[in-house]
Order: sequence, then structure tokens, then C-alpha cells
Amino acid sequence: MELPDTYYNKSEYVETASGNKVSRQTVLCGSQNIVLHGKVIVQSDAIIRGDLANVKTGRFCIISKGSVIRPPFKKFSKGVAFFPLQMGDHVFVGEHTVVNAAVVGSYVYIGKNVVIGRRCVLKDCCMIEDNSVLPAETVVPSFARYSGSPAKLISTLPEAMPDLMTEFTKSYYQHFLPTTVQ
Amino acid sequence: MAYLTQPDYVKYICSCGQLKPITSLYFCRHCLKIRCGFCICHEVDSHYCANCLENMPSSEARLKKNRCSSCFDCPSCFHTLSTRATTQQRQVLQDPAAGGDTKVESKQPKKMYYLSCFNCRWTSRDVGIPDQPVASGGWPERTNPHAARVNQLIDYYKAIAQQEKQEKIERERKKFNIRGKYITLTDKTGLTGAMARNIAGLPSSESSSSAIANFVPSVATAEVDELPEDIFTKEVNLNQITSMPQRLASPDWQPVSVSRLHPLAKLLSVKRSQRCRACDHNLTKPEYNPGSIKFKIELLAYYHVPEVKIISHEPVKPGEKTALFLKLTNPTGHEMQLRLLQPEDIPPPEEKEEPKSIDKSLERSLVLEKDTTAFKAIERQPNISATSRVTSPGVTLTLAQRDDAAEYDDDAQHDTNDIILWRKSNKLGVRLELDTSAEAVGGSPARALVALQYSYRNTVPPAPSAAACRDHTLYTTLLLDLGTVSSN
Repeated sequence: MELPDTYYNKSEYVETASGNKVSRQTVLCGSQNIVLHGKVIVQSDAIIRGDLANVKTGRFCIISKGSVIRPPFKKFSKGVAFFPLQMGDHVFVGEHTVVNAAVVGSYVYIGKNVVIGRRCVLKDCCMIEDNSVLPAETVVPSFARYSGSPAKLISTLPEAMPDLMTEFTKSYYQHFLPTTVQ
Repeated sequence: MAYLTQPDYVKYICSCGQLKPITSLYFCRHCLKIRCGFCICHEVDSHYCANCLENMPSSEARLKKNRCSSCFDCPSCFHTLSTRATTQQRQVLQDPAAGGDTKVESKQPKKMYYLSCFNCRWTSRDVGIPDQPVASGGWPERTNPHAARVNQLIDYYKAIAQQEKQEKIERERKKFNIRGKYITLTDKTGLTGAMARNIAGLPSSESSSSAIANFVPSVATAEVDELPEDIFTKEVNLNQITSMPQRLASPDWQPVSVSRLHPLAKLLSVKRSQRCRACDHNLTKPEYNPGSIKFKIELLAYYHVPEVKIISHEPVKPGEKTALFLKLTNPTGHEMQLRLLQPEDIPPPEEKEEPKSIDKSLERSLVLEKDTTAFKAIERQPNISATSRVTSPGVTLTLAQRDDAAEYDDDAQHDTNDIILWRKSNKLGVRLELDTSAEAVGGSPARALVALQYSYRNTVPPAPSAAACRDHTLYTTLLLDLGTVSSN
């Protein structure tokens, strides 16, 4: 099925020169530490904690409503330290999902109501299904589909995953339209 | 991507009769047929650990029983274990005679490591495994209590196999042996049987015979240990007893109590390549590097067969004509002519006459070695009842080639007519009519079969002997899932 159009209120969103569409109803802490590489959609009530450490996303990332992007910390003998969070291109983060990963590769699909634990590494081309919990420091290999709590490998993904994800995020961006004022 | 989050609305019929979404199909450029995971050969390319992404040669993987040597899974919840570091105060008493003028009791902190599960909080300390001074490796390896017996059995059966092989060769030789008057090479050079065996890399006959001679067969005994006195009276603490999956995860030991759970070495993953069974050409071949997502060969249907997506459709009603909107995409780098047909309009595949060239017969003789009967592809058509028919528009649609730069000039052309809704680089929106039979019962699944005729340009460099036929007309059948038939 072709993706349906999603409409947003034009006054609610800010569009930057590089094509990022960021809702005004978001919490972007430490915005000087957040880099969105272009054509990224950040929807309402999303929280990006740039005050803890740098957050970088690639192109065509979608951060859905109510999701939290939070750099991970590591405990040392003398207190804790936060590490930067990197996200590749064409990443989808579902609604009400918490991402504490250290690295999220390219072409990654994260469903809704998912918790990605501290310092997880999501390799390129992987998928975390809805309502999953990924315990801390998990490595998700490429072409793996994880589901459950704790999330386990349930199946593999088709070889065309990079193209499928590219098409999905691009068409999501194209179908994300401002409501025309009558 | 929508393919993975939504049910499969459009399914293609594989040449073996399976119904699959386009994402799990392959396209053999040499047979020009659609293949699926059930009708191709899967081969293991390389072994790697999914956690540390370390490659392991297949011989080493076999030796290590397909398990990683440095990564472990939790024996309790099967999640990957992490290494935690602790500092231990180690008291080092320096020898005053060695060089120190005063007695110094230095407290040198030393890092010790243990394994911990971040999911269920199991640690290697729980079962009394001592902490390790190095971060990875060095964990005590347990040996199977029956390892000696297992090895003895393996040796015995190897020896028997060897002996039987030898006997068979001996019989064959006796059958065909015609003693000539010439002395054989072995007689002349003094090459004895033992030496020949040694050169050929076979074990000497003495050792194999000794393995057979020394073998002690197992003896069944009627005496079984008595059950403990308190078996029925002792209160059972289920928290101390392992679950069935926990026991089966380590079949060598099958621990009964949780205090005997030991870390499980992580199982390796494989990179696999896929091969067409009919022509033995590779369909997919991944890159060797375990972290890489690229492929050296990637003949997927998604890149060669026109893709059909349902945009929307009117509710399907029995005995009525409803509208259906489809999106057609040409994924290839060449212009494509496309026609929508009825499934029964597909001409039966013509039997190709075998060209009787020397090349072919040579090839045949090479293939003879292998048992080809097992690889014979069975082509069949599935028996599907469709509630609706898609009215063929009777026109040929032309789809432009795929052009990655075209997305930047995004003004859709609206040369709209009855059929074409819009046209955008290599994509086409079409409006079709759906004719549902009057017998369709309301509430039953609405499905429509449609056939596609499409032109395909083969980009494989043709063999020097074969006639260069590059443009082909191919057919494929697909099944559209249109929800349920609405009852009026």
C-alpha cells in the first residue's frame, strides 16, 4: 500500500534551509549540540537531549511524536560520563520510543513504544519491532529483526532493506504536507 | 519499508508456485525467472560473531562448535553478557632487601573483570566463577564429563568407515584387476602400501584397526541409583531449579539447579550467498566484511521486476464494477513496455530446443559429475480462486527508466486520460476497473489475480556462441489483496 498523506499545521512547524521540519512543541535541550543533517522531521512532543552530549542525525530521519533521543552514559569509578549519540541516514523512530543507543546505523527502523537501552549499538539495516525492550549494551547486527522484551532475533530482513528504507523515509517526507489554508 | 510494517497486499507468484511479496523474491538474469527462498540453494559464505563482528574461518568455526570464543550469552535469560570491571585492592609487600630502603606496603589497585547480564542481573560471581585479570577471554572452559567416551566413539566410527571404504576399493580392484606381465609402479619403486597410504594422507591401517580392537561397547545396566530419601518430603524451591530452555541451552551438562549455570559461548551467525538451482549462477553474494551491508551480486526481484503497489480502491461489492488505483514502478535502467493481462492470457512457456553445439555437449559432460536430478526445478502454478477480475485496459503503458536525479525536478506530469492518473519519472499511477463476480459472499476475502507482460532488457554480456538476444518479453502473475467483500 502506498503511504497516505499526513498533514501538519504550518504554523506549528519550522522548516530550515536544509529541509528539516521541526515542530515547535518539542523539547530540544542544548540545541547547539544537536545536528540534523537535512530533511529530518522532528514531530511534536519529541525530546532531544543535546545538553547531555552531542546528538547527530543523518539525512531523512523521522523522529515521531513523544519519542526521546537521549545520549547514553557510562558509570566510571569517578562518577558518570555521557557519550555522543550518532544516527545514520534514513532512520525511523516510532512514537513514544526512548533511544539511549550509542550508535544507530543507517536504514534502521525502530517501532513505537520501544526502549533502546544504554549504549546499544544498532548496526545498519536492522529493525526493532513495536513494544520491544532492548537491554543495555546490546549489539543488533545487520539484517536482523528484533522483537519482544528482552528483544530477541526473530527473523532476518530482505537484502533490499537499504532501498526499502530509503523509499520509505523519502516518501514519508514527501507525504508530510502542510495543511493548505482555505 | 512499508512492506515490513504492513501485511503483504500484493504478492507475486514465484516460478515454483509460491506466493511471496516482491521483497523476498529473487530474479535470475540467466534463466529470466523469478525465484524465491524455497527454490534456490543457500550456501554459507562466512561465519562471524554477531556481537563482536569477528570473522571466523569455517574450519575454526567447526572446531569451536560454531561458537564465538570471546562473547557469551546469559545462561538464565540468553541475553548477551557484558564484561564489567572492578578494582581490587591488592596488597603487595615489597621486599625490603630488593631495593627499598623502607618497608613499603603499597596498595596497588588492580582491575578484575566479571561477566554480567544487563537484562536479568545474573553475574558470573553468582555461580562462583573467579574474576579474570584480562578483559576478554581466559574464562574457564568446562569439558564435557563424557568427552573421553564421545571421542572414543567418534574414533571407532571413523575407523569403521575407513575400513569399509578400504574393503570396497579392494573389491573393485579385484573385479577389474588383470595382472599384466609388466611390473607395477609400486613394485618398481618399492612404494609400499603403508607409504602410499601416508602420501595419500590416510591414517595407517594399524591405528584404525587398533581403534576397532580396543573399542569397548556400552553395557546397559539394570541398577539405577536410588532416589534420595527426602525426594517427596523436601520442599521444592522453584527459584533454585532451572527451566527447561535453560537446561537445553547447555545439552552437555543440563544443570538442574541455578547455581550450576555457566555462561554460554555465543553462537556464530553466517553470511550466506544464494544460487539459482537451475543454472548455478549466484543470485546474491554478500561482501566478506561482517559489518558491511553491501552485496557483490544482488539479483533481487525488487530491482528487475516492475513493482505494483495499491494506492487505494473502492469497497469491493459482489456483482459490481469498482475502481482500483495502482502505482507501477520500473526499477530497471531501461524503458519498459507494460501490459496488464488476464492470468489465462499468459502463453505457456515454450520448450526451448537444445542447441546441439560442441559447447553445449562439453558443458553437459562437465555437469555429468553432479547428480542433476535433485536440482530439477519444478514449475507449477498455484491454484488460487480470485473473487474479482481486473479489466485489462488493452493498452501498452510505457514506463521510463529509473533515474535517481529525477526526484529533484518533482513536477508530476498530468497527461491524464481514462487510465493514467499521473506520471512521475519511472512511476505511473493507473486507474483500473475491478469486476467482482456476483457469487462472491460478503465478508469473504476479496482477491484479484492480474498478469503483467513487461519488456526486459538483459544486461548480461551474452556468451560468444549464443545469439545476442537482449530484449525479452516476460510475464508474471500477481495476487492483489483487497480486504474483504462488502455485503450490501
